[in-house]
Amino acid sequence: MTSITARRHRAFYMFTAPWIIGFLLLTILPMGFALWLSLTTFDGLSPRWRFIGLANYRELLSDPVTWDVLGRTGLFAVASVPLSILAGLALAVLVNRPVRARGLFRTLLYLPAVVPPVGVGIAFKQLFDTNSGAANGALNLFGIDAIGWLADPYARYVILMTVLWSAGNIMIISLAGLQDIPRELVEAARIDGASAWRTFRSVTVPLLSPVLLFQTVTGVIASVQTIMPLLLSADATTAGVTSIPQSNYMYMMHVFAQYFALGRYGYASALLWVLFVLILIVTGLIFKATSGVVFYNVDPEAKK
Amino acid sequence: MTATTATQSEPRAKPPGKPHGKPRTKPGPAAGVRVRTSRLVLYAGLVVVTGLFLGPFGWLVLTGLKSPAELAASPVHWLPDHVQWGNFADAFRLIDFLGYARNSLIIATIYATLVTLSSAWVGFGFARLNAPGKKQLFGVLLGSMMLPQIVTLFPTYLLFAKLGMVDTYWPWVLWGLAGAPYLVFLFRQFFAGLPRELEEAAIVDGCGYAGIFWRIFLPQSKPVLAASFVIAFTWSWGDFIAPQLLLSTDRSTLAVAVMTTYVTSAGTPVAYLQAAASVMYVVPVLLIFLVAQRGFVAGMSTTGLK
Repeated sequence: MTSITARRHRAFYMFTAPWIIGFLLLTILPMGFALWLSLTTFDGLSPRWRFIGLANYRELLSDPVTWDVLGRTGLFAVASVPLSILAGLALAVLVNRPVRARGLFRTLLYLPAVVPPVGVGIAFKQLFDTNSGAANGALNLFGIDAIGWLADPYARYVILMTVLWSAGNIMIISLAGLQDIPRELVEAARIDGASAWRTFRSVTVPLLSPVLLFQTVTGVIASVQTIMPLLLSADATTAGVTSIPQSNYMYMMHVFAQYFALGRYGYASALLWVLFVLILIVTGLIFKATSGVVFYNVDPEAKK
Repeated sequence: MTATTATQSEPRAKPPGKPHGKPRTKPGPAAGVRVRTSRLVLYAGLVVVTGLFLGPFGWLVLTGLKSPAELAASPVHWLPDHVQWGNFADAFRLIDFLGYARNSLIIATIYATLVTLSSAWVGFGFARLNAPGKKQLFGVLLGSMMLPQIVTLFPTYLLFAKLGMVDTYWPWVLWGLAGAPYLVFLFRQFFAGLPRELEEAAIVDGCGYAGIFWRIFLPQSKPVLAASFVIAFTWSWGDFIAPQLLLSTDRSTLAVAVMTTYVTSAGTPVAYLQAAASVMYVVPVLLIFLVAQRGFVAGMSTTGLK
């Protein structure tokens, strides 16, 4: 008997080993390496690097650029995450209606979310080009002068629109959530005389709250990581990262520039670790703030 | 809004078995008109929103079909006077488009195949086997989905550089072998839903767990395997930052080539060539999605819902 149990235990570790080893070597090890680098002056070239303790962290805390990029990234997350969730949810409600050809509408609305980032970047560069872009063409019809969309201060709106363009992702996930809501609950609310909006607010949204929470957390993490500023810039190479317009120069771009344009591996690693810890804190705060609000207790039997 | 409310609050009035339509009995002709107008508004809204969503891609295609003079003209030249199919041929010829596409294809295939098999293997362990520490490990797995990948990518790049793996495809092999938390979760959910008897019969027959996985569970999971492969393939095809860092220009992927190689000697991008090239780069992904839509969407929703 025990040998069967032991065999099973061994089998479990045999099966999960690829992921465990991969996680240790490709996630924990690089993170540890970065932590160690962040305490040095290492630049990848000169052999005379040395251990400097927390000096990199002190430097980044006293550098106003750090606070600028942090503020910009926070603002981008605060603007893009709620907007894209609202847009995705609205789309989901729309295509959940019993309309003809809704399968087609779903597919077409989701399609932009499948376009790879490089395609998104190039498409929006053309759309918002000062001379040949459709956006300025439309403004011109109303007699409004051309706007330099891809430069300061408008570039931030373009990147926001790229996020909204991929709202199909959130639509699909919210749609699956909507379809999981027991019909009886919605119908009971309606029979009790609740308006459509009231039903949506008091029945649908609470039941969707785990999906919305998940979207919020992944949305925040995605917006912090975005490389779209680089893809929207004129020169999307390691050298070009420094020419990104100020309003799109976000935290990750700063890290990227410090790593690969300036080769300051130690300092950039310190920036990375600060970001990592901040993400952990923000994620924790989101979970904590919503722990009383998110509604996990849908009786699994109720669905059937 | 109000008119659809009217249809929905009167379900009893409809003949049974009939789908949504005009309410027959009580409401007068005015209500019927209201229902029809609201439908019209709904459809109009859907068409406009869909148009807005397709717009950026449509404009990309149009840009790729214009001549340089038309792109320089002001105000905007909406449609090309003569459709410049030649732009696509030029974009194809001026760089080694096929070569880059082949690199992308090789990397994406290696990665998607390995990561699918590895994730299925790991997912089977989490779904069907038990050992002390399993709960904690699963917690780490779920938590690692939220790790910002780009944060680990930069130091990983430095390590790969130290190991001499820059400018090789080895990083994608390793990433593939390690499995991806999202896909592990996808397979775990699927395998956990299969009946217990499946492996019990096999255990009695003296089949090892590897055999059970390979001969019984894997063949059952063809739709999930396909979904996983498509998700991983399109992800790898679309990735810009890893190949940009890890590969030199001529070994790099189409994503990097489309983004960075269509430039004048002064370094400014050539819009019509870049647009044409990116259409050719994006369309295969759209086609794969349209063909594999069902599994793709099912996979995305499972991972999103937890």
